[in-house]
Amino acid sequence: MKITIEHLTKQYGDFKAVDDLNLEIGDGELVGLLGPSGCGKSTTLFMLSGLTEPSAGRILFGDNDVTTIPPEDREIGLVFQNYALYPHMTVLENIMFPLINRKVPKQEARDRAEKMAAVVHLEGLLNRKPKALSGGQQQRVAIARALVKRPKVLLLDEPLSNLDAKLRVETREEIRRIQQEVQITTIFVTHDQEEAMSISDRIAVMDRGVLQQYEKPQEMYLNPVNEFVANFLGMPQINMFEGEITADGVWLNGHLLRSRQEMAAGQNLAPGKYRMGIRPENFELTADGPQQTASHVRMTGRDLLVFFKLDETEMRLLAHSDRQLERGSKFSARVRPGQLTIFGADGKTLAKV
Amino acid sequence: MQHNQTVARRLRGCKGYLYLAPSLIILLVFTVYPLIKAFAMSFCEDYSIIDGSFKGINLQNYQDLFADEVFLKALSNTTIYVVFVVPLSILLSLVLAVLIHNSLRGKALFQTLYFLPYVTSVIAIGIVWSWIFNSNYGLLNYFLSLFGIPAIPWLNDPHYALAALIIFSIWKSLAFNILIFLSGLASISQEIYQAARIDSTPRLRVFFKITVPQLRPIIVYAVLMGLINAFKVYNEVFSLFQSKAGPANSAITVVYYIYDKFYNSGDYGVASAAAVVLFVIILVLTMVQKSIAKEKEEA
Ligand SMILES: Nc1ncnc2c1ncn2[C@@H]1O[C@H](COP(=O)(O)OP(=O)(O)OP(=O)(O)O)[C@@H](O)[C@H]1O
Ligand SMILES: [Mg+2]
Repeated sequence: MKITIEHLTKQYGDFKAVDDLNLEIGDGELVGLLGPSGCGKSTTLFMLSGLTEPSAGRILFGDNDVTTIPPEDREIGLVFQNYALYPHMTVLENIMFPLINRKVPKQEARDRAEKMAAVVHLEGLLNRKPKALSGGQQQRVAIARALVKRPKVLLLDEPLSNLDAKLRVETREEIRRIQQEVQITTIFVTHDQEEAMSISDRIAVMDRGVLQQYEKPQEMYLNPVNEFVANFLGMPQINMFEGEITADGVWLNGHLLRSRQEMAAGQNLAPGKYRMGIRPENFELTADGPQQTASHVRMTGRDLLVFFKLDETEMRLLAHSDRQLERGSKFSARVRPGQLTIFGADGKTLAKV
Repeated sequence: MQHNQTVARRLRGCKGYLYLAPSLIILLVFTVYPLIKAFAMSFCEDYSIIDGSFKGINLQNYQDLFADEVFLKALSNTTIYVVFVVPLSILLSLVLAVLIHNSLRGKALFQTLYFLPYVTSVIAIGIVWSWIFNSNYGLLNYFLSLFGIPAIPWLNDPHYALAALIIFSIWKSLAFNILIFLSGLASISQEIYQAARIDSTPRLRVFFKITVPQLRPIIVYAVLMGLINAFKVYNEVFSLFQSKAGPANSAITVVYYIYDKFYNSGDYGVASAAAVVLFVIILVLTMVQKSIAKEKEEA
């Protein structure tokens, strides 16, 4: 089921929780709705579910305008942030509940619920009450309950936020697997950029109710449209600083980051001060050049995270973990070609040099 | 060091009992002692409250009690009363509580309305209701006449007196029940109801499959309190029938019987025996009800 969101707005008094959102989600696509706390992710999801009434705009499922259709009739599955399982019912009863509501005969409802439970690997837990389950198991019950009625759209509101790191990775892979298995259009809300990038076909990044960028994860990571998206994606975070462009090239505090000759033709940025960004992995260590001093070094496993100061500006650099670098070590580095991002005064990306 | 700590802890324990002492003393003097005394009196034949003399220790009081038609009437009245008042009151207040909870507007008005009977004196309410039940000018008969039902002599006909008492008591008990149900409703997570909407749950099913199970502990509590209070019904009789037990004792209840035997007839032993019988009934019912509730909890 294709979803089209047109000029969707939710206003609380003077405050716009969601502001003129336009989004098109293809059939069977998994879209990650990403943004910081309070940016309007849940509000968007709840408008899609029908639990929250939009102040303006339209929502289309396929070619049908569902804006005024109540949640009961939208044929959606929703997994709540806290799962919202029925605490007094067993796992099986929870999963059967939506079917019985739709007057599916009891035996058939039972069969379907059991099959769905098998898909999410809940066999053997069917007679337990939710409070006797782990967070990950509860979450899978919630997904099974949402999917068993064969909805046209699956909505998930930060379903992994209560899980520990390992379970989180496991269950997000599982969600992806189930989603591909049943081929259902899915919207997945999260404030975890890594989570969003790893399971989404496309990501919609929101900030203060406004859509910033809607793109495939890799494309968005490599080419963020603005400073906000560049900042939000990536861990460790992108290095942001104020630099200067002159006739000779791009400078930071007297360090030449990129000479004019190295810049591609046509990148005719007017001289002046600019906000700039370099991702930590886009530094490369070189044999010669100006020396830097590591102020501290953190081993993260695959990488070494090296902190150093380019005069006043603190920088983070990722190096391969077999490099012999420690606090106080001297090294030389340069920015890989085409990986220095220049932002305009309005925060929009102007160029990568 | 170790020793000092134990002493300090013990002293602190003593201090705790000191704080409790006033209420413990009151409890002992006004509750525990009378309980034991009544129990003892029930086995004393012809007990005199003036000099504490009695003829002998036997079951004479209990024999007299169960031979007394008035007591049997009181017992059956009380049973009928309990059977009607408790379930009807719980059901009605549950439905009303849900309606009040779901209606956003007028919540404050309702809050005052349902709380009113709870804070008003039973006697005053009884007087108002005796007017409502008045066969010639009463509101209830006027209302029934709209449906073509002829005037019913609610308070003057032995056939209707108990019914009037039951209606009055249900109304009166609503306040407390609605209050506790509302607090229970407020504590149910909204998300469960949202989930129920997403799952396309019909309204009645939401009530029976979500609201009622979620309120179960509170319903159990309300039933228990309702049972105990209903078996002890007295004030309602006293106020509705102006200190009588209805025409020809038709609305007499066990507690009214106890009161009457004690203060009017001076049959202290029989009154005590009736009190013990009532105590045992309530005790057994409470235990049965609790074990049922526990069984369901574990299931
Ligand atoms: N009923 C409401 N009345 C007023 N403001 C509201 C209401 N509901 C949400 N908001 C505001 O709308 C904004 C967006 O809320 P929303 O719940 O969509 O955030 P979110 O992106 O889901 O955040 P989180 O990651 O913390 O869950 C917030 O600033 C919130 O305070
Ligand atoms: Mg949220």
